[in-house]
Amino acid sequence: MSAQQGLVVRLILLERFGDIVANVGEIIFQNPNSLYHIAKSTKVPLGKVKEALSILIKHNLASFKLNVDGITAVYTLNIKNVFLMLRFPKFINLIKTKFDEEVEILVEEILLKGCLTGSEVILKATARLQENKNISVLIQQLKDKFASLVTAKYVIKLSTPTMKEEDLFALPNIDLKKLLIVLNGGSETLSDAGVYWTINFDRFHQDLRDQLIVNAVTNKFDENIGELMRILLQQMYVRTAPWVPSSNPVPILEVKEILKKRNTHSQLITHFEQYVNILEQDSTGIIRKVGEASGGSYQIEMKHIFNQLVWETIEHIVNEKFDSKASRIFRLVRSRHYIEPEQIQNLVMIPAKEAKRILYQLLEENFLVVNELKRSAPNLGPNKSFTLFHIRLDQIIRNIMELCYKSLYNIMTRRQHEKYLNKRLIDKKQRVDTITHGMRVQGISGDPVLDIEEMITPPETEILNRIGKMLQKLSLTELQIDDTMFSLEMYLMYD
Amino acid sequence: MSKSESESRENNEIESENRILELAKSKPNGISNNDIKTEISNIPPEVWTKTVNKLLKTGVLELFKDKGVLLYKYKDPSKKTEVKGSDNEEKIVYKIIEEAGNKGIWIRDIRFKSNLNMTQLNKVLKSLETKKFIKAVKSVAASKKKVYMLYNLEPDSSVTGGAWYQDQDFESEFVDILNQQCFRFLEGKRESAIKLGGGPLMCRNRSYVTTTDVHKFISELGISKVQLSVDDIESILYTVVLDNKAERTVNSNGEYLYRAIKPFLDPPGVVRTTCGICPIVDRCGDSGLINPKSCKYLTSWLND
Ligand code: SF4
Repeated sequence: MSAQQGLVVRLILLERFGDIVANVGEIIFQNPNSLYHIAKSTKVPLGKVKEALSILIKHNLASFKLNVDGITAVYTLNIKNVFLMLRFPKFINLIKTKFDEEVEILVEEILLKGCLTGSEVILKATARLQENKNISVLIQQLKDKFASLVTAKYVIKLSTPTMKEEDLFALPNIDLKKLLIVLNGGSETLSDAGVYWTINFDRFHQDLRDQLIVNAVTNKFDENIGELMRILLQQMYVRTAPWVPSSNPVPILEVKEILKKRNTHSQLITHFEQYVNILEQDSTGIIRKVGEASGGSYQIEMKHIFNQLVWETIEHIVNEKFDSKASRIFRLVRSRHYIEPEQIQNLVMIPAKEAKRILYQLLEENFLVVNELKRSAPNLGPNKSFTLFHIRLDQIIRNIMELCYKSLYNIMTRRQHEKYLNKRLIDKKQRVDTITHGMRVQGISGDPVLDIEEMITPPETEILNRIGKMLQKLSLTELQIDDTMFSLEMYLMYD
Repeated sequence: MSKSESESRENNEIESENRILELAKSKPNGISNNDIKTEISNIPPEVWTKTVNKLLKTGVLELFKDKGVLLYKYKDPSKKTEVKGSDNEEKIVYKIIEEAGNKGIWIRDIRFKSNLNMTQLNKVLKSLETKKFIKAVKSVAASKKKVYMLYNLEPDSSVTGGAWYQDQDFESEFVDILNQQCFRFLEGKRESAIKLGGGPLMCRNRSYVTTTDVHKFISELGISKVQLSVDDIESILYTVVLDNKAERTVNSNGEYLYRAIKPFLDPPGVVRTTCGICPIVDRCGDSGLINPKSCKYLTSWLND
């Protein structure tokens, strides 16, 4: 928890839920607090604080427990979940590619509300999809799709302490007849009232993690090995819990069979054994052969993979922040663990002066640390001490996390500022759009619509385009910074 | 030029060198241009003048003037140069420097060994230097220190720094170019291995090269003024490995093998913004002159 992190948390809450929730969130970010204290420190009326807290709790952004006095509740902010909101676009995208647009809408609705009952999700999705469709067919489809989301564990039942493990993914009883009544304006108690569902982030993270690995392997080797890795990971789940550092052995013939059946990568099938060899022999140790029986079986070394990826991430950062000479030095220190400055100069082939300058920079920004070693036998020769350079990975990761928070904060601040500067124009555009949309719905077209549209002058359109691009770039960057945070989180998870 | 012509020219040159050396050896007091002309009249002047120049350069002949006439004198390289016309002190200092060989010796150590005081020693050194018996060479080990050695010696690479130093300066551009060329060679190997086809294993194995292969490639490129050794190339290749552009393995003969590789990842998102690489990020805040709302770095990045 750092101050910088707090600033980002505040901004995220502010963008999604407004001022009051952001203020309340800020207070409980700093310290878990009781309702009374929150109201006092935020100077927000008690009623509003209650509202804000209920929003936070509904989105699983805050939790509460009984205070030591045994009467009041203490509220805590779930910081991790606040940051997860930055990742929502990725979750939605993932579902869209894995399922289809209708499933995407189901997920979107749950993300939007934090948690919903199965019937509520279907009602909301139906409202968005009903145009030109037979309602009773649609709700049947949506019910099935919701069920497949539950089976694949992308959504999870909001748990109470007494709930059993196996109940978390038990399908709800959704009565479509009652749903139809509600849809037609009637009132009816829905069959699954009170059974709330929320997004199972853990499941999404498994997918994002696997995607990251497959992409990395594809980059380094080729499409074929990427596909091999993908199927290996897929088969990993058959006999391994999702987050163990080193998987249980996967029989390689099983992988081969699957590839043969799919028949998408002919090269990979023809030279299957060779590709497996290449992946196994690579110095980074992604998979490890553990059994010879029936063609051999392999462990996937998750912890190892993320160790490798996080190092490469940091090397890239050194490279971009300083230059290629600095990353050369950094890699040398990494490979030698402890190394003297003279040795560094000789091996990296950089002029002594420059090497010194770079070493100093890396030290100053904490990418390297110095260990002084006193010579143990002082009577031998001049009493000299050794200077050894060294890397403290945990420290660097902490610093990079901070850098991510800071960059995120700056980028988000800038995005809001650009919006604010052009607020008048953006609002005008929105008004015009609403009006013209309304006219089209009423069947009006031609000149009257054009007249309204022309209220936005060409120079204004140009500015709007420019701003649009800018905002897009800023949003994309936020997602990319989150990517970096994700790989660091994965490393820490296995560490 | 036809082949026979160039051959005869070469023969001419060899003959000219032998004849001039013979002549010079026979006349220890020196030979003049006229002597050469009359003695080896069958060799054209443009050839023997070239020979003389070459011999002067290599120090086999010495040039001096006697009564307005230029004379060339033979200098026996095998015979130790006598420190003629020197006093005892010069002889002692000369001997100390001679012992130091091509690694040279620091003035402090000469003083220590010769027991001369600084003024004396400086005078002696200066005199020996003007007579071209010794020379001072700057050492790369310590930037301001000079070492002394005999005039005709080629300084040891520990003094000059080897191929990577030109007058004591590290030639970092040269090293950079070699680094790029070595990588280019590895990358070319990898690409041609892919083109050749065959199974993936064969493809991988074909993309490995030995240091000798790279050495040959670099020598043939002719980008280096100095002769680079295989070890020199080995050092360069290691920098390519450190740049994460190549990997190194050992073959069954204990020889290093190199291969171009690709990274797992693209540069991470956080350094694709200006803030991730900003040198003044620590001074950037909400209030104050440096802030994300008005930051010029961000502005120009946004307008890119
Ligand atoms: S906003 Fe500008 S000054 Fe601040 S960290 Fe980013 S690039 Fe640097």
